[in-house]
Amino acid sequence: MQPVQPIMQLRGVVKSFPNGTLALRGVDLDIEPGKVHGLLGANGAGKSTLIKILSGAYHATLGEIIWRGNPVSWDSPRAANDMGVATIHQHIPLVPTLSVLENIFLGSRGRWRRSSAVNVQFEELCRRVGYWLDPATLVSSLSIGQRQMVSILQALGTGADLIVMDEPTASLASEERELVYSAVRRLSAGENKAILFVSHFLDEVISLTDKVTVLRDGKAVLRAETADLDESQLAEAIVGKQIAALERESEQRGARASSSSGDRALLELRDLASPGRLDPVSLNVASGEVVGIAGLLGSGRTELLHAIYGSDNRATGSVVVNGSSIARSPGAAVKAGIGLVPEDRMAQGLVPDFEIWRNITLPALNGVSRFNSLPVAERERERGWEAIRLLSIRADSPEILVKELSGGNAQKVTIAKWLFSDVKLFLLDEPTAGIDIGAKTEILRLIRQLAAEGKAVIIVSSEFEELLAVCDRIIVMRDGRCVAERHVHETTEHDLLLLAGGQQAPLDTAHS
Amino acid sequence: MATAAHLELGQKGALDRPVPTSPGTDWRKLFGLREMGVYYALVLLIVILAIITTYLDRSNYLSLLNLSNVVYQSSLIAIMAVAMTVVLISGNFDLSVASVAAFAAVLLIGNADALGFWPAAALAMIAAMGIGLLNGVIVQYVGINAFIVTLGTMTAVRGLVLIYTDGRSLSASDVGVIETMKAIEGGRHDAFWLVVAAGVVLLALSLTSLFRVYRAGSALRPSAVGMAIGGIALLLIGWASGGELVLRNPVIYMGIFTASVWFVLSFTMVGRRVYAVGGNPEAARLSGINVMKYKLMAFVFCSGAAGVAGILFASRLRSINPAGLQGAELTVIAAAILGGTSLFGGAGSVVKTLAGALLLYSLTNGFNIMNLGANWQGLIEGIVVVVAAAIYTVGGNKMKSKTGG
Repeated sequence: MQPVQPIMQLRGVVKSFPNGTLALRGVDLDIEPGKVHGLLGANGAGKSTLIKILSGAYHATLGEIIWRGNPVSWDSPRAANDMGVATIHQHIPLVPTLSVLENIFLGSRGRWRRSSAVNVQFEELCRRVGYWLDPATLVSSLSIGQRQMVSILQALGTGADLIVMDEPTASLASEERELVYSAVRRLSAGENKAILFVSHFLDEVISLTDKVTVLRDGKAVLRAETADLDESQLAEAIVGKQIAALERESEQRGARASSSSGDRALLELRDLASPGRLDPVSLNVASGEVVGIAGLLGSGRTELLHAIYGSDNRATGSVVVNGSSIARSPGAAVKAGIGLVPEDRMAQGLVPDFEIWRNITLPALNGVSRFNSLPVAERERERGWEAIRLLSIRADSPEILVKELSGGNAQKVTIAKWLFSDVKLFLLDEPTAGIDIGAKTEILRLIRQLAAEGKAVIIVSSEFEELLAVCDRIIVMRDGRCVAERHVHETTEHDLLLLAGGQQAPLDTAHS
Repeated sequence: MATAAHLELGQKGALDRPVPTSPGTDWRKLFGLREMGVYYALVLLIVILAIITTYLDRSNYLSLLNLSNVVYQSSLIAIMAVAMTVVLISGNFDLSVASVAAFAAVLLIGNADALGFWPAAALAMIAAMGIGLLNGVIVQYVGINAFIVTLGTMTAVRGLVLIYTDGRSLSASDVGVIETMKAIEGGRHDAFWLVVAAGVVLLALSLTSLFRVYRAGSALRPSAVGMAIGGIALLLIGWASGGELVLRNPVIYMGIFTASVWFVLSFTMVGRRVYAVGGNPEAARLSGINVMKYKLMAFVFCSGAAGVAGILFASRLRSINPAGLQGAELTVIAAAILGGTSLFGGAGSVVKTLAGALLLYSLTNGFNIMNLGANWQGLIEGIVVVVAAAIYTVGGNKMKSKTGG
């Protein structure tokens, strides 16, 4: 059998950023045509950076990129596209107000907006992918799954020989996933395209890919044929064998977890659900307890928090705090002592044109006001200063506008908002996303301190290592359902990974 | 109340960062075009007009009589513009103000003879606020863009005016009613002490703020500087008037109205929340603020103010033409834009809007004095608005690139 020449090879690729971050430390990668190559790794392992280099958005600092046997250096995504690499990004960038047809041929250089040749090409693409939809439909009326298919058609339409897919099935329902899988199989087997398939779902990777590369800390730690591996080995490669210092602390805390059963629950959820997004959940959280919600993108974690907080008005079921049921609105939640740190800090957590101090005092103006209606400037500035000191926010003064802060510092402001009023339950949605490791540890310690003072915390995170370090209990969610609950000292990151993205999945492996 | 003081986290500067100290006052930004531009423009305009009119030997432009006349002319638009600023800050838009004012005027005149002045005025106010509520409900609950909704209500309410008046002018004839109207709108009062008192209060507030800043070494806030300048300006006006400052009622109403709205927006929790709702409605909602309520209130407030303006307008003329105040909404919005109000919400200052209104009317007044044809007014006003917006936008962008982030 003739060995197949890889169409894309990376040799010792290193990527460093001006601020000192070393995202890739010498990655080797071989992608062969006609094969589906899986790429896995935890958040921060370097996957996105690698994809950006492949797609032409970044230049590698060191190392070689060999395309079809020749070293290349792309100036822009356009150049990479022209050479035959198409990238389907995670948050599908289609133009919602244009039709499917126009989006697919968005990059083409023809003069006319509509032509019959284009229609013929469209039909051809659909035949090759094995999926058809009405070309005149506006993208804004398509579901996420359909949009994913459109982006696949778009990628194929550019004539690419390597298609990079970044987490294409996150947020998709199972029938929609099947469409993506069959498209991938047709393109690789039928058209001899090379496909780089990035995913967190271990079951999907095992059933769909031919080869696998696992990145950890910027290096490829595992490169193997998928047939030789099982989910457990993949999980091990992703996680590594080291245990973080914080995890050690959590083991010491192991005994406490079982003692909280005596207290009356601070929070009781009774059949809390949101049609189409969250299946009924019933859960009790005691004061002083930290509950982690583990799950991958699209598992319904954020929906759960919003349902608890009352900011989802389609939610059903009841939320009971200290014995009294609360109305379904954020205002009622705040009054009852719940605080939410949302996932998207700039869009949901902060008013960008406000200064730090104005954002910090927003949910708790009563504490800094006279006669319950006139905020006192000095007290507000004081709170701003205290927040800066407490969370080591890198800002010269609380007068700085939050839109001028870096991501990590803005995130700290979003958290600080809730530290100055009588909040009993903290709902944290990815609170350490985009924060440097030193600050992450500070925030995790803050969470433990809040728990020590009798507050309850529910924390959503896709970094299971963190959850193990800081929680007493972890609930795993998948597809809008709670699939498992574990005490922190009876589980490991490996275990959580399997639960969140592995075994329970109803993936049909008979096809391949 | 958890002061969080015992959460001893970053105290020692966990990552070796020095404890942040506050920077000095950014004087350049404070007195730059973005913050104070409209005031500079107003003063500049008055100076230029004073020079030109003296040169041309026209009637005394800089006389107290003429200047207070300009303020009187602008008072109704100013009241509507101040309320419009509130709607803009809350993240919405209201094109229907002039039509609502006209409708209120028509209801007043049409019913005053039969019901008496005050009941008719109450009717007008209820109608005006009702339209505001309608605007708010459609925008917030149906979810249509405020521009489109109020464009619709603007046209529809103007239509109501035509229907109600049957296309003819209406006049009030009852003597008692006319007397009340004259008293309300045409009356004059000596506002000398009011102005001086306001000046003193402002100056006192700003001095205490300055003193605190001096002790703590922190940055001076723009509002404190603004209050100081405002206080000084008021005292100067008081001094220039020589002990007697007779102003017509609408000017006094405008002054008190602007001062109250300024106070609420700058110093109260309610005002803070209005800015938050406009700055990022989602973040405001997730902080527990009832965004719906605030947006609705802003619409009702704006239309209510339009109702008041309409009542004053009717009282001024004692009759109303169905086309009255037509096109005034654009002047109102122009005043708000000149005042630096952001059309996206979350930023704006009612005092600057007032300055913007005065600017527009000073322009008109200047044209009249110089006998410049009315044809030129539109062109020049339009240019002024675009130039002002350009200065704000460019100034804003420069600010962004300087601070990086």
